[in-house]
Amino acid sequence: MKGGARALRPLLLLPTAAWVAAFFLVPLAMIVAYSFATISLITLDVSFGLSLANYRELFDPLYLSTLGRSVVLALGATAGCLVLALPLAFFISRQPPRWQRVLLVAVIVPFWSSFIVRIYAVARVIDDGGPLEDALRALSIGSGDLGLAQTRWAIGVGIVYSYLPLMVLPIYVALDRVDRSLLDAAADLGAPARRGFRRVTLPLALPGVLAGCVIVGIPALGEYVIPDVLGGGKTLMLGNVVADQFLKTGNLPFGSAVAVALLAVMAIVLIGQRLARQVVR
Amino acid sequence: MLPTSDPGTHLMLQRLSRRTLLRRGLGAGLSLPAAAALLAACGGDDSSSSGNVQGELVLLNYENWLGKGTPRAFAEAFPGASLKQIPLSSISGGSIVNVLKTANGRYDAALGDTSVVGQGEPAGIVEELDWSLIPNIEKIGQRFRDAYPLGVPTDYGKTGIGYRADLVDEEIAGWADVWSLAEKYSGKIVFSDLDRDSIGAALKYKGHSANTKSEEELEEAKQALIEIKPHLRALESYNIGANLVKGSAAIVMDWDYDVALAQAQNDNIRWVEPEEGLTAYLEGFFAIKGSERLELVHAFLNFFLEPEQYADFVNTTGTAYTMSEATPLVKPEISGNKALVVDPATLENVEFQNYLGDATAMYAKAWEEFKSA
Repeated sequence: MKGGARALRPLLLLPTAAWVAAFFLVPLAMIVAYSFATISLITLDVSFGLSLANYRELFDPLYLSTLGRSVVLALGATAGCLVLALPLAFFISRQPPRWQRVLLVAVIVPFWSSFIVRIYAVARVIDDGGPLEDALRALSIGSGDLGLAQTRWAIGVGIVYSYLPLMVLPIYVALDRVDRSLLDAAADLGAPARRGFRRVTLPLALPGVLAGCVIVGIPALGEYVIPDVLGGGKTLMLGNVVADQFLKTGNLPFGSAVAVALLAVMAIVLIGQRLARQVVR
Repeated sequence: MLPTSDPGTHLMLQRLSRRTLLRRGLGAGLSLPAAAALLAACGGDDSSSSGNVQGELVLLNYENWLGKGTPRAFAEAFPGASLKQIPLSSISGGSIVNVLKTANGRYDAALGDTSVVGQGEPAGIVEELDWSLIPNIEKIGQRFRDAYPLGVPTDYGKTGIGYRADLVDEEIAGWADVWSLAEKYSGKIVFSDLDRDSIGAALKYKGHSANTKSEEELEEAKQALIEIKPHLRALESYNIGANLVKGSAAIVMDWDYDVALAQAQNDNIRWVEPEEGLTAYLEGFFAIKGSERLELVHAFLNFFLEPEQYADFVNTTGTAYTMSEATPLVKPEISGNKALVVDPATLENVEFQNYLGDATAMYAKAWEEFKSA
């Protein structure tokens, strides 16, 4: 009987496996197949094959610079999230359990509303004459029309705001798991609190930091809604190129090649994260 | 080419008259046998013209992009027929053509601009219409019919200039003024986020056709856009006029109907038809190849072009319209707005955005280069 139940256990995976296969693996395979195809932009007839023409076009300076811009913005936004999330997660992890729960709920509250609503809310805050400008003027940090809205700076703010909880949560989990007795031991051995944090807490929290960086950096790299809404549509990101090729030009093969290139960059990031974790261990 | 007056049209008009007579008869309380007798007296049954005008017509369309009362009126006019609208977020670009290519007869008709129909023809998704079955096409201005020969032109949108007279000291007459004032009003100018609109305006500014396929002219236009880019607050693809209302922009590149909406909220907003010429999109309904309900499609398109139905469409959507005959039925706030009414003098100055064929990719690349600059 027990053996029979064990044999049936893999069936538990079936719904998820079917779901992933149908909605992730099959579309992914289609995108890869399309990326090697060619298209007539007159008839939109697609010829499947093993053409590298779409990948060659990726080396056009226009797309290389767009990739560079996307990477820089994603790295900047990830760094911004990290700078804000680390102290916050540390603070939360040091609170009594009841307050930890309250603060964690506060961190994820923005996720209760729609992503688009949140982005437009940010747009209102940083808009000309909006609350942020008023506050900066009140603090004498700026005067007149500060022109914060519809800039690359605004895109960065939007990405940091949107993805901050995704950075806070894994870091918090890692910090919460740090054995306090290790910190006590460090203190007993004469390490001041700051040194204890740097030499004990931070290395132990590093897996959470790396996970947070991946969770934030990867979607930020392909982001296209935030650049459109907060950047005023003036900044071309790789995500915008994919969207335009699919939704405007109808060039599915080239759009697919750009998407595969994005996936490749993300895969490199994931491999880098894995290597970094091995180094940490 | 569209027919202007042919025997088929007259035949259809007779058939329509008979159908109208039947409807009126039923409306007046005639019993079904009486109506049948009336039909018989007319010398035959009506099956040849209305027998297939039934079933559900599936129309790919913008949400609410039809007269409020039209679906019900259509169903009443053609018992057994109904209209199902599938909403779409965009009617432009290759993506719609791709959708229709793989639809396998799911749709009977669709809304599409000149680019969609132009690309749809070689892509094999556009069914040629039998104009003898759509006599009401005569009510649409010839200029629109020539520019949209494969379907029924429903509406168009001119891309012009909107500005706040209380925020801009100068009179603006054309694109040259916008470019020359850009530095003064830096950060207070919004352009359209659609390549054909912005590139088209830049081409006009440089004295070229908005449908040019010349690489040199396109390069000139791109450079002009790159030149003005540092002064642009944003590129937006909808609600551009709201920037004028809020005052976050003093000058915008915008569509006629959007400026008209903004003008209703602020008296200081001016609409300018640039002296260099206007570009305009032109949309319409077209039949999809492979539809099994083509007679229903023809009947619907002809019904849509009844002035009452067309006016309902204009009154519901607030768009610039293509049928002068509908003017008396159109709300005065629309028909009285110079930006929206059919004005022959303005039309003289309009260049519709044609399908560009091979040059489409060239425009897309130029647009990406401008955005990346």
